[in-house]
Amino acid sequence: MRVTVDVKGEETREIDLESVSVSGATADGEPTPTYQDLLREVDLSPHEVSVLVDGRPVPEDQPVESDHVTVLRLIKGG
Amino acid sequence: MDCNRCGEEAVMHAAYSGAHLCADHFRESVEKRVRRRVRRDDLVPRDATPENPQTWVIGLSGGKDSVVLTQILHDTFAEDPRIELVGLTIHEGIEGYRDKSIDACVELADDLGIRHELVSYEEEFGVRMDDVVEDDPENMAACAYCGVFRRDLLEKYAEKLEADLLLTGHNLDDEAQTALMNFLEGDVEQIAKHFDASLGALSEREEQGEFVPRAKPLRDVPEKEVALYAHVNDLPAHITECPHASEAYRGEIQQLLYDLEENHPGTRHSILAGYEDLAAIAADEFSGDDGADLRECAECGSTTTREICRKCSLLESLV
Repeated sequence: MRVTVDVKGEETREIDLESVSVSGATADGEPTPTYQDLLREVDLSPHEVSVLVDGRPVPEDQPVESDHVTVLRLIKGG
Repeated sequence: MDCNRCGEEAVMHAAYSGAHLCADHFRESVEKRVRRRVRRDDLVPRDATPENPQTWVIGLSGGKDSVVLTQILHDTFAEDPRIELVGLTIHEGIEGYRDKSIDACVELADDLGIRHELVSYEEEFGVRMDDVVEDDPENMAACAYCGVFRRDLLEKYAEKLEADLLLTGHNLDDEAQTALMNFLEGDVEQIAKHFDASLGALSEREEQGEFVPRAKPLRDVPEKEVALYAHVNDLPAHITECPHASEAYRGEIQQLLYDLEENHPGTRHSILAGYEDLAAIAADEFSGDDGADLRECAECGSTTTREICRKCSLLESLV
């Protein structure tokens, strides 16, 4: 699956899910890339962004199930 | 993925605790941590009564941190006649940036029905940060000037508003960075001052007679969760970064902490917990040293260790 990663205010990247390196295995033993793995591909830490799918925040340790992901950088200050 | 506490869909995962939480349980978890911090830091003194209410001034910039802090403190104390909240907003003179975040502050204060005060560098000091960064007579980062001016006005107005406490929205990431920076700079006296200025429980701090005590009740909540709290509650937080922001060293430390946190979840919590314990010991060690050489600034009369305070000397170099 190809996933569109839209980093708001910056770049939009198309990432081939098969090419994403996976940090852990899921319960059934099949390695599935998570949103955190996807963030690593665009050099972002899960601690500096929020990941939204269909406008809803998702836990970053979950397997990527959507072909469009929005990434919001945290705004410093205030 | 389901929430650990109910069947709803989780909106977040906290790697440091292993928790997956839905929006409602996430909200509850953030609010609980802030209230626990208020209790542990003894922020509500025993002698506060409805007849003798405490005034808490919140540094309200309109960014996510101060907006979330104001909202949670309001929800906690709205029905409590012992605590009165006042939002204090400072306009630094940054075109386009601060104007919008002030709208967020006014909207929030209106929604919550709390008193709101707005002051500006221009009215107070006759300078605007947009001009300061152009002049830059001291060859410093914008934040170095801005921090001095902001602290001066926060202190001055906290006193003017007869505040018992000055609260700011520093989150876990902010404080873990500061802790690590102070540690890496090897300045133990600075760590002791940090304890007495804002970190220690009010009852354990050395008396800071000249200054309104400060507190940071959001410091157990990671920055990401503060942003998520603002998002799930649809709070009117302003979402633009300051155009002059440039704290190179802090940025380096921040990146280091992101990397550590990814491989060792909980690093920020343990840094801050250990730092607070060490800071308490350091404060005890330096106790009594403080305050001996404090005097009044010859220009503005504010409390300083120099003849002329840092703010006045910066203003002088800007003319």
